[in-house]
Amino acid sequence: MELDQDAVLRRYATAVDAAHGELTRLDRHSGDGDFGDNLRAGLRAAVARHDRAGGPAFAVLGEVFLDEVGGTSGPLFGLLFTEIARADGFAAGAAAGLAAIRRVGEAEIGDRTLVDALAPAVDALHGPHPFAAAARAAADGAARTAGLRARRGRASYLGDRALGAADPGAAGIALLFWAVASVAEPDAAVPPPL
Amino acid sequence: MATDRTTPGGPFLPADGDPVPPALRGFARAHAALVELRDDPPHLVARDRAPARRVGLVSGGGSGHEPLHAGFLGRGMLDAVAPGKVFASPHNRQILAASRAAAGPDGVLHIVKNYTGDRINFGIAAERLRLEGVASRRVLVDDDLATDSADTATGRRGTAATVVVEKLLGGAADAGLGLDELADLGARVAAASRSLAVASRAQTSPHTGRPAFELEPGALEYGVGIHGERAATSVPRPPTADLVARMLDAVAAALPDGPDDVLVVVNGLGGTTPLELYGIYDLVADDLDRRGLAVADALVGTFVPALDMAGFSLTLTRLRPEWRPWWDAPAVTPAFPRANGAA
Repeated sequence: MELDQDAVLRRYATAVDAAHGELTRLDRHSGDGDFGDNLRAGLRAAVARHDRAGGPAFAVLGEVFLDEVGGTSGPLFGLLFTEIARADGFAAGAAAGLAAIRRVGEAEIGDRTLVDALAPAVDALHGPHPFAAAARAAADGAARTAGLRARRGRASYLGDRALGAADPGAAGIALLFWAVASVAEPDAAVPPPL
Repeated sequence: MATDRTTPGGPFLPADGDPVPPALRGFARAHAALVELRDDPPHLVARDRAPARRVGLVSGGGSGHEPLHAGFLGRGMLDAVAPGKVFASPHNRQILAASRAAAGPDGVLHIVKNYTGDRINFGIAAERLRLEGVASRRVLVDDDLATDSADTATGRRGTAATVVVEKLLGGAADAGLGLDELADLGARVAAASRSLAVASRAQTSPHTGRPAFELEPGALEYGVGIHGERAATSVPRPPTADLVARMLDAVAAALPDGPDDVLVVVNGLGGTTPLELYGIYDLVADDLDRRGLAVADALVGTFVPALDMAGFSLTLTRLRPEWRPWWDAPAVTPAFPRANGAA
C-alpha cells in the first residue's frame, strides 16, 4: 500500500506542535532545551515549503532538516527522512536511515539516543499491521530511555542526572512513527506516545 | 557578541555580530593568490593543487584556532576548509560544499579533530556525499593526552597534531596515493602523535571582553584543550624547564612504540610570544636529546591557538622513515612554515 506522505507530514507537524512543551521539558532535563523548538521549526518550515513548492513530503523534510535545522539531532532526522524519500518503500528507507544515523552518531542500542526508538521500530515493520507495530515499538523504546545512562551526546556529561526522563530525540522518533501509523493504519488506533 | 571597547586588554572584535565573517573576508583578501572564499554556505577553497592529487583533502572546525585550518590551504596541504563559528563545529552544509569543491577522482578525505559536534557534522556530510556518489573517508585526530581516559566513549580531543597530520597527508596526496591509503596513513600518523597543553591565563571571552576563567596567583592549568575550557587539574607553577620536562615525560610515555625520530610542535595558544616559544623549544630540544629521541624537524609558533589564551602545547609524532618525503615536500600555504631541518 502506498503511504500518503503528505498526510504523514501534516500529522507529524500537528503532533509535534502538541508535544512541543513536553519535548522541551525532556530536553531541559538532559540537554540544552532547544530540541522541541528545533523539531517544531523544522516541521513548520517543511510544511510551508511543501505548501509552496510541492514535491514528495519526505524529500522536503530531508532537505529542510539537513540544511536548515539547528542542533545535532535535526540533521540526523534529515538523514532518516532523506533515506525514506529515496528508498523503495518505507521499511527499506527507515532501515537505511537507521544505518546512516548509526554510522554518523556511532551510537549503539542502549546509549540513550534516538537509535533506542528507531532500531526497534525498524525491526517491527512487518506483520499484518506493520506501522502500528513499529509505532508501539518506537514508543516503548523511547520510554525505556528514561532508565538509561547516556554514553553519547550532550547528556553523557550528566551521568545519572539525566535518568528519569526519556531522551527527547527518541521521543521525536516515536512521534514520527505514531504519525505514520495513524495515517496508514487508523483502525489500529495506536495511542500517541507523549 | 558585545565587547566593551573600554575594557583594558579587550579584543579588537566587532562590537556586535559574529567576528568570523569579516575575518574570513580579510583572510581571503590577504591571501587572494592562494585561497578563495565562497559563500552560502561559507567555505574556503585552495586555488592550486598538484595534478597528481587524486583525493581532495578537506578539514574544518570551530574558529578561534587560526591559522588552523584555512592557513594550511594550498598546494601541498588542504584543498578546502569549512570554518565554524568561534569554538563551534561547522554546519554539515559547509562541509558538504567544501567537499564538493575539493573532490578528486578518488573522492574526499575528511581530516577531523575529535569533538562530538565535528564528528557528527562531518559524518552527516559524508552520508550526503555517499548519496551523491562521492567516496569519502575520515581521519580522526585525537592527540590530547589530558583527555586520555578509558571512562568515556568520547576519547582524546584533537589538538595541535592536526597540523602534522595535514602536512603529511598533503605530501602523500600529492604523491598520488588513493583514498584508502591516505585514510590509513592519517590514522597511523594520528596514532603516532600525542600532545599536552598548559595555560597561565584564560583566553579573553569575545562576549564579555574579560578572561573566560580566573587562575589563582602562581597556578597553572595543566592539560587544557583548545576551547578555553579549564584543565582537569591546576598545579603550582613550576620553573619552565621543570614544566617542560614533566610534560615531555608524559607525552613520551604515552607515545606508542616506533622510531626514535620525532617531529616536534611547540604550539602557542594565542597569547604566548615567539620569544617565549623559542625559549621553550630550546629546553625541549635539550630534553629530547637526553631521552635519546632525535628531532627530525620542529615547528615553533602559533598554529592551533585558543583565541588569546596564554600557554603552549607540546606535540611529538614518531616519524616513520617512509613518511619523511611527505613532510619535506613543499607546501605553498598562507601559514605553514618552511620545513627547516632542526639540528
